[in-house]
Amino acid sequence: MNKEIILSLTKRLVTSIVVLLLMLSFLFVLLRYSPGDPTQKFISPKLSPKLALKVKESFGLDKPVLKQYQNFLVNLSTGDLGISYTYREPVISVIGKYLPFTAIFSLLSFIIQISLGLFLALYSIKRKGSWIDNFIKKFSLSVYALPSFVIGVLLVYLFSWKLNLFPSSGLKSFDHQSFSFFGQLGDYASHLILPLITLSLGGIAVFYKYLRDNLDETFNAHFVMNLRSYGVTEKEIIKKHVIPNSIGPMISVAGVELGILLSGALITEVIFGLPGMGRLAINAILGRDYPLIIGCTFVAGVLIILSNLIADIVRAKLDKRILKEMIN
Amino acid sequence: MKIKLWHFIILILGVIILLNVGMLVNSIEMLWLFLVLLFSDFKHANTQINISIIDYLISTFLIIIIPVFILIYNKQIKILQDKLTFIFAIMTLLLAVTIFAPLTASSNPNFQKDLRVTKLLTPFSTVQKLFLKKNEIKQENNLDYFILKKDEVIKKSFSQDFIFVNSVKTSGSDVIYIQKNKEIKIEKDKILFVEGKPLIESKTFILGTDQYGRDILSRLIYGTRLSLFIGLGAVIVSFFIGIILGFIAGYAGGFFDSLLNRFTEMFLAFPILFLIIFIIAMFDSSVFSIILVLGASGWMSLFKIVRAEVIKLKTKDFFITAKLIGLSNYKLLTKEVLPNIISPVVVNLVFLYGNVILAEAALSFLGLGAGNNYPSWGGMIQAGQSYITIAWWMIVFPGLMLFITLLTANELGRKIEHHFNSRIII
Repeated sequence: MNKEIILSLTKRLVTSIVVLLLMLSFLFVLLRYSPGDPTQKFISPKLSPKLALKVKESFGLDKPVLKQYQNFLVNLSTGDLGISYTYREPVISVIGKYLPFTAIFSLLSFIIQISLGLFLALYSIKRKGSWIDNFIKKFSLSVYALPSFVIGVLLVYLFSWKLNLFPSSGLKSFDHQSFSFFGQLGDYASHLILPLITLSLGGIAVFYKYLRDNLDETFNAHFVMNLRSYGVTEKEIIKKHVIPNSIGPMISVAGVELGILLSGALITEVIFGLPGMGRLAINAILGRDYPLIIGCTFVAGVLIILSNLIADIVRAKLDKRILKEMIN
Repeated sequence: MKIKLWHFIILILGVIILLNVGMLVNSIEMLWLFLVLLFSDFKHANTQINISIIDYLISTFLIIIIPVFILIYNKQIKILQDKLTFIFAIMTLLLAVTIFAPLTASSNPNFQKDLRVTKLLTPFSTVQKLFLKKNEIKQENNLDYFILKKDEVIKKSFSQDFIFVNSVKTSGSDVIYIQKNKEIKIEKDKILFVEGKPLIESKTFILGTDQYGRDILSRLIYGTRLSLFIGLGAVIVSFFIGIILGFIAGYAGGFFDSLLNRFTEMFLAFPILFLIIFIIAMFDSSVFSIILVLGASGWMSLFKIVRAEVIKLKTKDFFITAKLIGLSNYKLLTKEVLPNIISPVVVNLVFLYGNVILAEAALSFLGLGAGNNYPSWGGMIQAGQSYITIAWWMIVFPGLMLFITLLTANELGRKIEHHFNSRIII
């Protein structure tokens, strides 16, 4: 069994690498054949053509595309993603500055989504058919149909402008340095509350919907009735039997969601002016910063594949049948 | 008596017709004049025709034809006999407003004039329209008749015929009008008089105006058009990509299958919004390319469904028989595969439709939409962000439209899913 698991994992690893390579090559080709010149930004018309050529040379854009692609692959194999045009720094260190925020922010949001989704689903399934169950059901459908940018802008209007409770943008206040450690934490928290709500509401609705449907199905299953007839307490049934049996599909959804979150919450970051991967990638695209675009996509792709892998591992851990299915 | 869908459709269309009787008559007259022009002066007719004229004529034609058609054929078309539900009502309303945008929108979405008066008006605020004297145009030939009629029918983005004012006073030989606390004199002979009084109409902006004094309701209506159109186009593109690739992967198997699977995995591993933004920012941001890009980024789930179903179908007897008879691949796909997988595909497409509309709105919210020629919901919300402290209506109404549309799309998808599944169970 163990050997088979390792074998299937390696198989998966290899296909993941192939997929990533395919993705980067696709992006590389698109970039080289897109209209516009990334060096244009750094060259003024007064500059002599010789110097202009030098700028191009320093970006490595003077060689034929095939040669560039070769260089790119060689550099990639050594873990070098190149030097960002705008920041004049290695791409890795630029991403290193933005990734921690995105990681913390998206993990926080992910935890909120999962736990609130689970809590609400359990809360409403226990009161199945009551008005509160119906209300949460309807409400989650409405929240799901609300685009995050509408939520974000309205939250800013309500809480930052009308009630003046939370700051509307940024990550810290101007006098951030003067606070004590806990004051600084509180400052971060007050800046992050609105973005977290904006980012999480949709996800909570999705998780709630998936979980409630599955829980409903499991609650009506024969084995649950059987357990009840044996006199097992409701609490134990839910904890030991119902949740593990109905959580499977949600974990796959959670894997996809985590990947999307980790690759950068673009809309939320734009509304609240937060320094995350999403805005970094967009600025790279709009500034035609080729190495940074490839770097951002690479990191996002790796994170998406990893989070899907984690979701599959968790599923396999919970349900041995799925493990067998995956190995085959 | 049950209210059926077709009753509601007739009601909506009837209301639109009643509100626009004058315009419809003018529009038909315009069509007549155009036909006259076409046969008498082909060269000029050719230069006069453009998209907006065609739009108006089609709207006029459809609003007369559709009610007649429904009244005659409502027994034959099954869906028209369904009970009216909330979703159907919203859908009908959205579609009617969208298709007949020239009739339902009270002004051109880009119409702006007298900013001092019309800028950032609250919903239901009223301003006065003071009509000015028009220069008499000589009516000599068919072309002049046509152009005059055209100006009467088509709502233009600019007009010299009137000015927006807050109030008007007449004192002696001059007329004084007030534009935002500023009194301005105007000579009497510049103003259009009817029965000794200056002609004044009041105009109500039901949903207010934006920072350039444009009517938000009209912009919303034309924005609906854009959103629904982009959604439809992108879904069709996704449909074709997903069906064809899924069929090839499932039917051919082997090398093609694994190649296409890797290809799909690649798209799934892309942060898809980045890919869309990347292509739109780098290449082109016309409506057509937005449709293509959104379509090309949403086919993955469809591919998976079709591939799995084709692999299942491949071993069925009827499929093997059809193949042995010698049906071509195209026939196999359209006659054997599609009818068998249509239900999951339709459900998927409806959900995809909602996602595409959302993605388009998000794109234009980020300022990467189809440009400023067309109003779009996301773009309106983005513009409203700067005026959030003084003009909430600039954000709330487009947000509400988006919300209603997405809710309807999701609900429709769920209904269709339920419909198909319940039939399978029975």
